[in-house]
Amino acid sequence: MSGNKKEEEMICALTAEEHAALKSGLNALPDTMPPRDVWLRIREQAEAEGLIASKGAQKRSAWYMGAGLAAAVALIAVVLVPGVMTETEEPGSVVPASVGTSSQVPLNTLRTLMTQSRELESNLRALPDAPRVQRASTMATISDLEDRIAAIDFQLNDPEAQMSPEDTELFWRERVRLMKSLLQLRYAQAQRAAF
Amino acid sequence: MSKFADIDIDPGIIKRAAAGDARAHEIIYRAFSAPVYSICLRFTKVPAHAEDLVQETFIEIMRSIAKFRGEAALGSWIRRIAVTKALMFLRSAWTKRGQMLADDWHDVTEGDALSHGISKHPDDALDLDAALASLSDVSRTVVWLHDVEGFTHKEIAGFMGKSESFSKSQLSRAYQRLRPLLEVQDSGTQPEGAAISY
Repeated sequence: MSGNKKEEEMICALTAEEHAALKSGLNALPDTMPPRDVWLRIREQAEAEGLIASKGAQKRSAWYMGAGLAAAVALIAVVLVPGVMTETEEPGSVVPASVGTSSQVPLNTLRTLMTQSRELESNLRALPDAPRVQRASTMATISDLEDRIAAIDFQLNDPEAQMSPEDTELFWRERVRLMKSLLQLRYAQAQRAAF
Repeated sequence: MSKFADIDIDPGIIKRAAAGDARAHEIIYRAFSAPVYSICLRFTKVPAHAEDLVQETFIEIMRSIAKFRGEAALGSWIRRIAVTKALMFLRSAWTKRGQMLADDWHDVTEGDALSHGISKHPDDALDLDAALASLSDVSRTVVWLHDVEGFTHKEIAGFMGKSESFSKSQLSRAYQRLRPLLEVQDSGTQPEGAAISY
């Protein structure tokens, strides 16, 4: 087949409109979440190969159940009772006592992030319950965001984590960002359900 | 645009992951596991294979993330690893079956497609999913890499160890197969000569 003829055959395969419809449809296909045990398999292999630090007999199920509660307790302790932290501050220091004395992270930044996070949690709770019938893609995205937030909560409350103040700020910032995404999704979902 | 591009991870978390922090890796996994699994599932069609490929992909990420310099987005980097792993698997499967890539094409007639539950008007994702699944492994993969992930024919050819013409040819044949399933409702209003070149 000559080059021209072959090229012509390719060009005629789809019209621009058909191609746009195909691309749009393909891009709209929802993602699928892998089964939950896949991460455990990855972690097991990674620990065996020394790619990540082993956490011994740490159980994932335990932190899933406790992470939310632990985060809430931490928030109450740090944000609602500011005296808990300010009492431990040295003059001129901006470091939360719980995260060491070499911090470059202003306490105000952490407090702001924690306050934002608390407000987002509150706004989320104020929304009506999720509708019984939900789009599969929305459900998957919400579940994914919740998982990511739970993972961050665990990290923030893990006594063995030994996070630097900069890392603590980083994780709080990520938590706020994910909470905003979650709130937007849940708000859109509530609006759809209302109409 | 690929969903990989929509996911952003704070550079600090990437830094922690590079230091072997399990939690940081878990955050990255939570962020990217769905698009990685989806692309592997689209290519292999077998959940067990896709799960294995997700595992291989994230282990590779753990091994290599210290070398990630951030010149490209993390999502693009992860996507490339996932695509490479999935294509290596497919090539391995093709090899085991004693087939050449170019031969891995089975004709799917419209009747076949309809028997797979594909309607003539694929208005929903299920129809398009089924239409895609009815293509051969090679054609489906080329369509996905080109139209969803945005890879060029040169890149696809590189992934597959074939020529650009091979990629173009596979895409063209896939379009021909999909065309009857893509009838746009107002097809009579299509402008003449609006065929595309890729």
